[in-house]
Amino acid sequence: MSVPVEPVAQLLPVLLDPAAWPGTSLFGASFRDGYVGSIIAVSLYVSLTAVALSTLISVPAALAIGLADFPGKGFVKSVVNTGMGFPSVVVGLVVLFAVSNQGPLGSLELIFTREAMIMSQFVLATPPITAISLAAVDGVDDGVRDAARALGGTRLDAALVVVKEARYGIATAVLAGFGRAISEVGSVLIVGGNITGADGISKTRTLTTAIQLEARQGQYETAMVLGAVLVALVLTVNAVVVRFGGRGAQG
Amino acid sequence: MLRATDASASYGEVAVFRDLSIEVDAGEVLAVIGPSGVGKTTLLRLLALSHEPDDGSVALDGTEAWAVDAAERLALRRRVGFVFQEANLFDASVARNVEYGLRVRRSWADRAGSLFGRSAPDAVHEALDVVGLADETGRHAASLSGGEAQRVSFARALAYEPDALLLDEPTSDLDPRNTAVIEEAIGEARDRGIGVALATHDMHQAERVADRVAVLLDEGITEVGPTERVFEDPADERTRKFISGELVY
Repeated sequence: MSVPVEPVAQLLPVLLDPAAWPGTSLFGASFRDGYVGSIIAVSLYVSLTAVALSTLISVPAALAIGLADFPGKGFVKSVVNTGMGFPSVVVGLVVLFAVSNQGPLGSLELIFTREAMIMSQFVLATPPITAISLAAVDGVDDGVRDAARALGGTRLDAALVVVKEARYGIATAVLAGFGRAISEVGSVLIVGGNITGADGISKTRTLTTAIQLEARQGQYETAMVLGAVLVALVLTVNAVVVRFGGRGAQG
Repeated sequence: MLRATDASASYGEVAVFRDLSIEVDAGEVLAVIGPSGVGKTTLLRLLALSHEPDDGSVALDGTEAWAVDAAERLALRRRVGFVFQEANLFDASVARNVEYGLRVRRSWADRAGSLFGRSAPDAVHEALDVVGLADETGRHAASLSGGEAQRVSFARALAYEPDALLLDEPTSDLDPRNTAVIEEAIGEARDRGIGVALATHDMHQAERVADRVAVLLDEGITEVGPTERVFEDPADERTRKFISGELVY
């Protein structure tokens, strides 16, 4: 299967081109002033960092759970799957408590920072990445693992074979985690505060929190533009992953 | 060369076989025949040093596999090849599949180097030539027929030149043409001095390819001997009944 990247990639410059949106002004600042760009940058920085960190934890965890036999394995899987349904607002509240002055991480002064937003998105992205990766690992035929061992592979070699066999599922898992992170509103609003600087440049404002603010203020046109940017970003990432996966399948 | 001595195996409380002794010599084909479910696969897994026997020992050239540390056991295990009933190919090209056994024996630095377009080693082409697929290195495993996949699986085990080759019903799902190719390849392995153990329920195949036959019945080996003698004049009554079809499982 092949997903055309070009049309999606072409959409972004159009959306960011002020000439394409005559009269459109976001919070009194034009596109050219960097307001939208800063929102996109903050959104990508927070979500990509959170998903990257989560992937580093989630994929090895999925491998460990999937490849090992231990008592309570079914219960652990249930817990991971349940985590996919965590309400983001509750996650935001917990992270807010953790980074507040009274919380265990209060001394780090992370409240209303991008790092706190990364923490909350990390918590939200980890269950879907782990659960979908685990399903992908479980889906790899035991015979492939046996073959890797029988051909002289170590346990690590066999695990790497499983990762390779499950790579499309794992890529889907990372994509799902990214989708959950970048489209999330509640927790980043709580822990990030939706803050811009005096120059109008985003400090902790993301696409989703900006859309929420614009819609609340009746600026539907602006909210729609930001929404289109958000959808274009998700589509672009999706297309890149699918195309990358498609090329791997042929090799 | 590869020997199990007084080996017992079980799954939970259910014994598969007890006090079983068998040896595969270099340059011979030993067929292990018996009805389905009697423990042929379990026996091969013991000989492959991947499963520890409940009792008894398994040794390669006199070194007891379960009396040495894991690193030494891995070195022993790497001298044994295994072909499963199903091909179990990796999601990769034919060449990458056949090269796998060679690759895991290399250092991590060498492996990283092979990621960037290095051509397949000669051993890969030679092993594929034995099964008549030398021109198919670039094909993806998913595009192979069942018979071709099993031939690649055979080449994959042959490529790293094992001392012993264990074949678990390798032709049970194959058509006559692919079966003939595999049987010829078994002969080629024997000619190279490899000790081959072939588990099969096809007694005609055992007659065609084996130098010796071991009959596995009722939790143990009832008879081991030269192929012709075992089929023509079995010494054990249960063996005779099994071969003649009187003993139905």
